[in-house]
Amino acid sequence: MPPRADILTKVVLFQDLEAHAMATLAPLFIAKKFTAGTVIFREMDDSDALYIVEHGTVIVSKHVSGDVDMVLTRFQRGDFFGEMGLFDNAPRSATANVETDSLLWRLDRAVFHDIFSHHPEIAAKICYRLVTIFIERLRATNEQTRDAIRWGLEATGYASGSHSLFGRKSI
Amino acid sequence: MAEPAKLQLLTHKPGETGFQLHEIHSSQAYLGYRPQRVAQESWAITAQPKSPDGRHNYVLKNLQYNRYLLIDEKELFLWEFFDGSHSLEEIARSFHHRFGAFDYSVIRQLLPKLHQAGLLVERENLALKQILVRSQTSFWATGFSSMAKCWRGLSFTVPDADQHCAAIYRYGGFVLFHRITLCLTIFLAILAGITALRLSPQAKQFTQLLSATPWRSGAIMLAVLLAASMLHVLIHALACKSYKRRVREIGFFLLQGVLPTFYADVTDIFMSTRRARVVVDLAGPMVEVALGSVAFLAAYQFGSGVGQAVLFGIGVLLWESALINLYPFNFLEMDGYNIVADLLAMPTLRQQALALMPNLPRRLLRMKSIQRAEWIQIGYLLLCFVSVLVYVIAHLDAVRALFPRWN
Repeated sequence: MPPRADILTKVVLFQDLEAHAMATLAPLFIAKKFTAGTVIFREMDDSDALYIVEHGTVIVSKHVSGDVDMVLTRFQRGDFFGEMGLFDNAPRSATANVETDSLLWRLDRAVFHDIFSHHPEIAAKICYRLVTIFIERLRATNEQTRDAIRWGLEATGYASGSHSLFGRKSI
Repeated sequence: MAEPAKLQLLTHKPGETGFQLHEIHSSQAYLGYRPQRVAQESWAITAQPKSPDGRHNYVLKNLQYNRYLLIDEKELFLWEFFDGSHSLEEIARSFHHRFGAFDYSVIRQLLPKLHQAGLLVERENLALKQILVRSQTSFWATGFSSMAKCWRGLSFTVPDADQHCAAIYRYGGFVLFHRITLCLTIFLAILAGITALRLSPQAKQFTQLLSATPWRSGAIMLAVLLAASMLHVLIHALACKSYKRRVREIGFFLLQGVLPTFYADVTDIFMSTRRARVVVDLAGPMVEVALGSVAFLAAYQFGSGVGQAVLFGIGVLLWESALINLYPFNFLEMDGYNIVADLLAMPTLRQQALALMPNLPRRLLRMKSIQRAEWIQIGYLLLCFVSVLVYVIAHLDAVRALFPRWN
């Protein structure tokens, strides 16, 4: 069963597509149900598909050390993730963990590339939207990096301003 | 003020599916932070003489980077707990138990100081910090900071100063710190004093001769002053070596960001005795006293003319320079100030006094609550103001005499 049209229209990635393009895309998605606590893909897995969240929440995290991951972001209804590896063929850069029972729509890499080959007008609109989304996510990452650094500085008491050391300069 | 930063972490239990989410605020992590000082062989601590208000101070030295911190008894207590096994929360509890009260600002101020001195195990990330600070500054602030950077760029340090000083000391410098040298300098100074008194009736004539060729005489005097100033600094450094302490730096900088000055960083002398510090402080001005004495004696031998006037002028300038150096109350941390600060066991007297200044009227209104150390700081400020005023007034006449056209 393909995803309902109202789900796809809520996905920013497909915002510029017209109804007939949506109708072309919709049957290509496969429904996947995940229960809370399961892992959709792990860091360094092959990047084989893109996912759209119909309901539920997914946490994307990056391994830090031992059994600790740092939470990067949280995806909810209408969000999509896992698109990066479809372009650069690199392994997954983070782990997708299901926080609450979720229904996701999966678009396989081969199908994705097929759209690009056979429907260049759809591909162009998706690509344009992707660029703006990447920019947004890059900005968010910058903020996150700054927050992480601020956290480190505050947590270690390093952020309390500069202090001069003791010394004697004989003049 | 911005809210504390928070970090979201996700943990897995081995062999189990699922995960746990944790939201950790930086303040929470701060309390759990277990500061760890660097290895025992990387630092040394020396107790300083008791200050007038009965406080004990200590100089904590990073032996690896040669950085120093002046810490008080409370900070020493904290430092002893920074062994990596006590969290700040536990330390705060012990502190409260020991001193009866606790203010987190004590830790908040101490930690960055220790970071800066490289005394904590955490990696320093000064460059990163500077970038963060820089990103918040305005266009004008950036402009001013670049200008200040250019001006500060005039400063320089002599590489391997300690090694050079050690070599100079070994190959003859030690003679300067023999009692006979001190006796000779005093004898020379007494002789020069008598000579200067004999020459003083001609002072007006010397002034006229100098004002006839102000640029040439001025240039010669300036060159001699410059050379004496370099020697002065070198003698400080050699005195430091005579106590087997390290000369951290020798160089040139702009005192108060304005006044070009040579300096020797002899902070390591704080790892020695108070007597050693006073000797190091006194050694520098002895150069001006000795050279000035030689100039007076040479002027006495010289036939009357511009040469004699220049030599007499050099003698006066060098002795005055020694006096200014030894005079403690001029707002600058010169040798006299250092001696007073050492004798009073208040190594940061000037900074404390300047910090007191904005609150001075309020403190004076509640005179009863002023403590002994504060009275000393007030006395220091008062003497500085009066001295600078007197110096300026006294020198107005001298400047007028040198440039008669100004009258």
